[in-house]
Amino acid sequence: MCSKKRQGQACGKGTFWARIYLVVHLVLVLIPIAIVATWSVSAAWPWPSLVPASLTTRGFETVLADSSTGLGSLWLSIGIAIACAAFTTCVATLGARAICLHTWRGRRIFEFATMLPFLIPGTVFAMGVQVAFIRLGLARSVGGVILAHSIVALPYAMSIMCDVTRAAGRRMEETSLTCGAGRLSTLVHATLPGLAPGIASSLLMCYILSFSQYFLTLLIGGGTVRTFALVLFPYLGGGDRTIAGAYGIVFIAVTLTVFLVFELLIHKLRAVEEIAYYES
Amino acid sequence: MSLLPRKARSRVAPYLLALPAALLACVFVFGVANGVAQGFGIMPFLDMHTPTLEYYEQVFAREDLLSSLLYSLYLALVSSLIALVGGVALSYMLVKAKAGRVARLAALQIPIMTMHALVAMAVMFAFSGSGLAARLLHLVGLVATPSDFPSATGATSGWGIILVYIWKEIPYLAFCTVSLMGHISDSLGEAARTCGANARQTFLQVTLPLCAGAILRAFLVVFVFALGSYEVPFLLGPTAPKTLPVLAFIEFQDPDIVNRCYSMALNGTTTLLCSLAAIVYFASIALRDRRQAGGAHV
Repeated sequence: MCSKKRQGQACGKGTFWARIYLVVHLVLVLIPIAIVATWSVSAAWPWPSLVPASLTTRGFETVLADSSTGLGSLWLSIGIAIACAAFTTCVATLGARAICLHTWRGRRIFEFATMLPFLIPGTVFAMGVQVAFIRLGLARSVGGVILAHSIVALPYAMSIMCDVTRAAGRRMEETSLTCGAGRLSTLVHATLPGLAPGIASSLLMCYILSFSQYFLTLLIGGGTVRTFALVLFPYLGGGDRTIAGAYGIVFIAVTLTVFLVFELLIHKLRAVEEIAYYES
Repeated sequence: MSLLPRKARSRVAPYLLALPAALLACVFVFGVANGVAQGFGIMPFLDMHTPTLEYYEQVFAREDLLSSLLYSLYLALVSSLIALVGGVALSYMLVKAKAGRVARLAALQIPIMTMHALVAMAVMFAFSGSGLAARLLHLVGLVATPSDFPSATGATSGWGIILVYIWKEIPYLAFCTVSLMGHISDSLGEAARTCGANARQTFLQVTLPLCAGAILRAFLVVFVFALGSYEVPFLLGPTAPKTLPVLAFIEFQDPDIVNRCYSMALNGTTTLLCSLAAIVYFASIALRDRRQAGGAHV
């Protein structure tokens, strides 16, 4: 069980107990998902039986139906989340450079301001800004929803990008420029690869935040922008557990897929980067 | 940009880099300020311009306000304290078990990427009166009918709500600290052990103090989130007391638009609580920095 690197050293007793702890943690993580998955396919599950009496695909048929409350809302949500992730990550990448690599008047205030959505709840922001969004014509529009999601995702993206920008520093860029590389090639071959892991995790974090946003979408979208989270929410409070469960499982499956695609991409990117490095 | 001389360019650069993020932050501040102003009865779109304390007075005169306020604080504090301890423990165990990439991802990312409301649904399925836990207890003869089981939905103790938060936030806290902790354990932890410190001393006197900044910050994020979130207490909370955001949204939805002033006064109260938490956070960071600076002199 010891990782290969440390095989030489003995696996201490502590390591063993730590592994047991992690296994218990994983089981606790998976139990709720398993329960939701079971409900999503059960037609009837009367008290006090421990297993469903009969199974059905009704839930998934409803969720994956070609309608505005089915696949339509799913695609809309994915689109909004991708747009929010791309936009916020770009903004945060630039902002993090301003904070970490430059000294300028107002830097501290700027840093504090971008962290504000950590300090004040999204519900307060949503209720406060709703009227302003309506008057600006941003309410009830997909663009407005993306903008609102980006604002609450900003501090997460900023703190991820600040960490990675600080760690990468300017060394590679300066070396690249000194060696006579142009600005564009420095950006592509020195700056971006250094930031790539941060960019990927920022994209992912923003995607998740946007995809699971309910309250903000409800207020800014005004019920017109019907994202997946908005459609599934009413089912959660009770009523049809089969459909609620199916919505839940589709939600988790989609996020997990996006996540795995990202992980694979990062892995590939790193491998390509390494090959390029050794070949040159 | 290339039209500008080099020196001016480098002076302008940070402002240009910061501009988009600053604009987003401005919209946020504007939204919150707008809400706070409405709490003081300033609603320009209704031709209300004179600030008044009337709405705050009325809100504070409500019988249910104090219980709501305390209930919100209680839920946020208990869940984020448990998440703090659990998150540090999980992060420590991940480092100690030398968990691989896949184990890390499964342990941390699955809870982070699952929507709060979905976890609330799972808690409902598991711990409501006719939920799976009650069925298991029925099997061993402890529960006869669904009404015998202390259901997590609508419980005044809010244990279902707390369960949702800690299921989500323990991994989040660990996510915020695990890479730092792993790094410290590899470098300074190794050094401490070489110098003869045992595992406990190393953890308490080297690793924990160095991670304190990241831990405190994650704690603040989790606390503010729990204090201000609407979905979970809406789905699992009791009819009374309601949490502040739930109460605020009820007033917000009232057909009479003037009720928005009450809603915003409630939001102002939530904001005040969050600001207090932020002040405590910044004060403790400053105190720690000063203590560390003092220690360096000795």
